[in-house]
This record gives sequence, structure tokens and C-alpha cells, in this order.
Amino acid sequence: MTEITFIRDPLQVLIIEDNPVDQKVLLSMLKEFPRSVSHIETAATLLQAQALLAQFQFDVAIVDLNLTDSSGEKTLETITRLAPAMAIVVSTGAYEDDLGLRTLSKGAQDFLVKSRYTAYVLNKALHYSVERKRLEVSLQKAYDDLKDTQESLVKAEKMRVVGALASGVAHEVKNPLATIMYGVTYLKENLTPVDEKVDVVLTTIHEATERANNIIMDLLDFSSMSKLNKSLTDMNALIGKALQLSQHELESHHIKIERSGLEGPVNLIIDSNRIEQVLINIFLNAVHAMRSAGVLTIDVSQFKVAPTAVLYSKLKSSGFSLGDSVVMVSIGDTGKGIPHEQLNKVFEPFFTTRRAQGGVGLGLAVAKNIMDLHGGLIFFDNKPEGGALVRIVFPMNPRML
Amino acid sequence: MKTQKRKVLIVDDERGFTNMLSLNLESTGKYEVRVENSSERAVEAAVQFQPDIILLDVVMPNIEGPDVAAAMKQVRELKQVPIVFLTATITKDEVDSQDGLIGGHFFVAKPSPISYLYEIIERILSS
Repeated sequence: MTEITFIRDPLQVLIIEDNPVDQKVLLSMLKEFPRSVSHIETAATLLQAQALLAQFQFDVAIVDLNLTDSSGEKTLETITRLAPAMAIVVSTGAYEDDLGLRTLSKGAQDFLVKSRYTAYVLNKALHYSVERKRLEVSLQKAYDDLKDTQESLVKAEKMRVVGALASGVAHEVKNPLATIMYGVTYLKENLTPVDEKVDVVLTTIHEATERANNIIMDLLDFSSMSKLNKSLTDMNALIGKALQLSQHELESHHIKIERSGLEGPVNLIIDSNRIEQVLINIFLNAVHAMRSAGVLTIDVSQFKVAPTAVLYSKLKSSGFSLGDSVVMVSIGDTGKGIPHEQLNKVFEPFFTTRRAQGGVGLGLAVAKNIMDLHGGLIFFDNKPEGGALVRIVFPMNPRML
Repeated sequence: MKTQKRKVLIVDDERGFTNMLSLNLESTGKYEVRVENSSERAVEAAVQFQPDIILLDVVMPNIEGPDVAAAMKQVRELKQVPIVFLTATITKDEVDSQDGLIGGHFFVAKPSPISYLYEIIERILSS
């Protein structure tokens, strides 16, 4: 018997086999090459295998597909799902070559026909399968990364085109709008209303023109945003100002305001005009969600990014590092909350639930843009007790962008 | 005592806009208005009309607003005439953030309420 030197470390192997004789054969064959395998567990049923998979990390499993509690390709599917990174070598009966080949297209790395292989072939197959699985996983990861990158590039390009188109159209539309506006103003000033309906008509035209103008402003805002005008700003004072500017809406809808968290100045280097815009946008969305009567809660907190801190994974995936100091403003309402499937959609340009009321769907897209430019984060959640919760997070020491 | 009307020259290629604007200005009884829709003839029109203030569009075919303004500054009798740029290329917020002055020029975003335009004109004429 020849001892082979394997490239990789000895393997952790799981044997899933209900026939005790076959189990024994496998074990003795594996022991012939002590440097090939470091740890072996055996399972006679899928249930036992599940328990072992939850407990250990195996490099490879030798699997008999037909067990007392599962059979055929279903066994393979279950195991692949439980341990997606583990290599699988299927062990089949003497006349199941077809099945063996089929399993290769279902995620197995190799198959061996019982009593037709030697210890050497078995050990070689295990190492070969582990290597092949490793390559498969890294290829899959590379593919996923590539796809993500491509998607974000396509999205960025789409936004660029939409932006350019929007600002071009907006400029062209503003001239005729100005003409309509001044025309209506003239009529309102100079027409002696013989009929009070005339006055209603003119007022309606004027309001519609202003709404069209606001839509265009939003579009321009959205497409032209690229640089910030940052200065040292007290977040608490800014929240106060944004509340004041939203006062009319808040009062007319009977919304109560409850503030909590840090008191006194919370200084950040931000573009105060832009962040004020973000806050007002969130406040007004909350008002619309609550319609009449409700409570708007605003909490300001400061913390360091740590695995134990709130939102750790979210912050990490948004480019924050362990130990970064952040300021978080959490704004909650007592409305109906946001349907789960819309949580990520709210930031998409032109997504709105208030189309009929004249919503364009750019407010939150603009807000996200502004937060991105600040190296910050904005996202929506639902409170367990109901109502939406918006969180905006700012880095204390803005990273260079 | 009847105060004399102030002369306003509007240079803008958008005919509908200049019509509406001049109607509004004239209806106040305070201004005498002349409109020039061709930027190429703007300097000539200004020399003839001798305005107290010029409202000048920025984006126009052939010669753009800033070039018209530069040409006017070359003419002795127009050198002192204040110019207000009326333009759709910027927003009111942008103008406000600069206190209405960009590069030493007065700017009014299109569209702005006519009352805002009156305010700017009066502020400039009285200074």
C-alpha cells in the first residue's frame, strides 16, 4: 500500500450510511490513509446527519442516498441545503450508475459505486471533491460579487441618465411654467370677476402651476445633487428648526411630538440645509402615515459601532468600521407602518404610495442621496408595537469621500 | 405729484414669457417696458431705450445672457445700468443661498412669484 501526501490538511468526514456493513467498509478504508482524514462521524439516518451537521463542520460527506427516513435526490437536496459549503460524494449501489451521474448535476462533487472502489480511490475522491467544492464556492462568490457590481453599475448609469434627462426637461419646462404663472397673476390682478367661478378657476390654475413647479424642483434637486456645503451644526437645534418648519402640518393633523435622548448640543459636520430637508421629509411622511392624530417620536443617541450595539450588521455593511462613533436620530410614528415588501422600495425614485395625492416619489430618494453623500445611513423599519421607525445615522468624524 | 415711470428693458427669447411679464409690469403703472426677444439686438435696444434696469435671460440662442451683459458694460451709456439675470437654469433656493447675488450679479430664478421680482427691482432702483 502506498501512502500518498495530500495537499490539504486531513479532512473532517461525515459518513451517512444506513447499512452497517457498508459503514464498516468505509471506516476501514479511510483508516488505511491516516493522513487523509482527521475526524470521522457516522450517521445511519438523515435525522442523525442533521444533528451532526448542526454540531460539527465537515469538509466532506459520503452519502448513501437511500436511507430509512429519506431517499434518492431528496436526501442530496436536504444535505446541500443544510451544509452548502460541504463537499458531497454519493455512494450508490452496484447498478445505479445513472443515479450517480445524475447527482453530479444536482450538487454532488463525485460518486462511487459500492464494491467497485479501493481505499486509494475513495481517499483520492474525497480530497478531489473537497478541492472541487472549494473552487465551486469561490467561483460562485466571484460570480455573485460580479453580479452585484454589475447591478450597481447599471443602477448608477440609469440614475445618471435619468438625472440628465430630468434636469434637461426641467429647465425646458420652467420657461412655459413661468409664462403661465405670470399670465394667471395678471388675470387675477386685472380681471373684474363677473363670476366668482372665474376666480376659482384662476386660483386652481395658479395652484396647479405651483405644484408642477415643486415637482420640477424635486427632480432638479434629485438629479443635481453632488456636493455638500458642510459646517458644524447642532443636530438638536436642527431638529427643532425642522419641526418648526413642519409646524403647520403637524398641528393641523393633531400630531403630538415626543423627544428623547441626548440633550444640549450634538455637534456634527453636515450640510444643515440638506439635512433639514431630510428631516422635514421624514416628518411629513410620518404625518401622512398618521393622517389625523398620532405621536411623532424623535430620539437622538450617540454610540460606538460594536457587535453588541444596535444595527451592527447594517452599519458594517454600509461602510462603518468597528469603533466608529456615530449619531443616530430615530423618528417613529403611530401610523400603520410599512408593508414588509416595500421597506427597501421606499428609496427608489418615483416610488410613491400617494400618487393620487400628487406624490412624485422623489422625497426619500433625495433623502437617501443626501445621507449617502454624508457617508451616513437611512433606513426604515417597523416598530414591534406598530408604526414606522426611520433611522438616520451620521459618522461623528466624517470619512473622506 | 406724479412720479416718473421707471424704464425696464426685458431681453428674453421666450415670447410668451416676455408678453406676460411686460403686461404685469405695465399694469402696476410704475414701469415703462420694452421687450427685446433677440439677444443680438439687445445692446442696440438698450442704447435706444436708455433703461433704468435690464432684465436679462441667460440661455438664449446665438448670444447668451452673460455675453450680452459683458457687451453692455463696454458701452459708456449702459455701464451703470443694473442688470438682473432671469433664468431657469438655477433654482430659487440656489439664489437665496447666495443672497440673490451670483458673481456680483443679481439673479432671479424662473419661475419666481411676480411679487418677488417687483421687490428685487424696487430694491435695486432705490439703491
